[in-house]
Amino acid sequence: MRNILRVPPTIRPLLLHASRAPYHSYEHVQPSPYREAEREILSAGLTHVPTHGFTHEALTTGAKDVGYLEVSTNLFPKGPFELVNYYLVTQRLGLKDRIQFPSEKMGVGARVRSLVLERLRANVDSGVQPRWQEALALMSLAENIPASLRELRDLSDEIWFLAGDTAVDSSWYTKRASLAGIYAATEVYQTTDQSADFRDTEEFLDRRLEGLRTVGSAMGNTMEWVGFQGGALVNLLRSKGVRI
Amino acid sequence: MALLFLRETMPVVHLSTRSRLTPLAFQLKARNSPTGCLGRRQDPLARTGLDLEQKKYLESALRVNQAGELAATLIYSAQTPPLLKSHPSLRNLMKHMYEQEAGHFSTFNHLMAKHRIRPTAMYPVWSTLAAGLGWATGVMGREASMACTEAVETEIGEHYNNQVKELLTWVEARQARGEAVGEELQGLLGVIRKCRDEELEHLDHAVENDAKEANPYELLTGVIRAGCRGAIWVSERV
Repeated sequence: MRNILRVPPTIRPLLLHASRAPYHSYEHVQPSPYREAEREILSAGLTHVPTHGFTHEALTTGAKDVGYLEVSTNLFPKGPFELVNYYLVTQRLGLKDRIQFPSEKMGVGARVRSLVLERLRANVDSGVQPRWQEALALMSLAENIPASLRELRDLSDEIWFLAGDTAVDSSWYTKRASLAGIYAATEVYQTTDQSADFRDTEEFLDRRLEGLRTVGSAMGNTMEWVGFQGGALVNLLRSKGVRI
Repeated sequence: MALLFLRETMPVVHLSTRSRLTPLAFQLKARNSPTGCLGRRQDPLARTGLDLEQKKYLESALRVNQAGELAATLIYSAQTPPLLKSHPSLRNLMKHMYEQEAGHFSTFNHLMAKHRIRPTAMYPVWSTLAAGLGWATGVMGREASMACTEAVETEIGEHYNNQVKELLTWVEARQARGEAVGEELQGLLGVIRKCRDEELEHLDHAVENDAKEANPYELLTGVIRAGCRGAIWVSERV
């Protein structure tokens, strides 16, 4: 009885899906965020998303497919959102295996572009793209917003990491925030894209990245100019004998 | 019912038995078992070597160290021009100390990027404050500059020393369990030890150069040390 009271079912999923471990170790395999049975049920559920959408039906059909009782989906109190979250997590973790850069000399910007495109292509390849608006609707429910934003943050971090970006100053934050914004916008655009091979989405992404580059370089140039002028002023005063 | 009870006590439920559980038994099992109904939750220590607490410790420790080295390089680079104007003989010492701090800073930058640790959100604030502190003490003169160095390096040396102690307890715990210590942990321990020793060397240089003569010595070092402790506390968190 005490055990029943200890962890209320509404909190349990929070405990199960603790966020990404803060310190990335290379000597040991990162533990999978999902247990074996959860993984089986959710991945089977995902195969039904193209027909049933992100619904309870997809989840229960998936559970039945892999030999679990229908009631076992009670382990996922958030229901269909668990499907969405599972999809997001596995696609994020799988990105590093899917991506192959054509050459070592590729710049970080170009790598970010191909990583974002690869991630968006996964939406098409796994067949969830026509149903993605449902997922976006689920993600925008008040109770799911924190988890969705956390996942977006982790994806943005993953993309910068895989792109080989090693900056650890204030730009760490601005880079991740701006990429998260661009990715979210592009993904929304992709749900309504009717063009062949999603050419329009690609062009949309290129325009957003170009805008970011323009703003970023303008900011950088301005800061450089300010710094240069400040240094010149200090040196001028020093040369005049002011004790600073 | 007896059969059901037997199953309850089994540590791992296999797929074949699970599909025959009644829904009520399934629910109860899911709630009662700390590992959940659907499989055993593995001990995170066994899989990753570092448990979550240790990872959190390393994350905030490395973040603070990077912020500290950033501040140190900025203090020295802001201090040097006004200080050398009045005391050109200190050129070699300042250059030596600056170069060591710049080396530490790039080491920690590299570690942060490698281990995917977020830098402190106060980065611009620490940069401004550190440059301001360096410049102000530089203008105040040789003794004040050295008192600043002494105060900062005392705090930082103690901070690094605590980290070394903490990591050593981990190493001992691993050795006691008969596990390999691992290159990652050994390397980290080496880096922090080297930094600590060099920071304490700077402390000695500062005292040799009349840090204790600064006026007002108590007030200056007291304020700087309190500021350092505050900055460490904040950087561990944000």
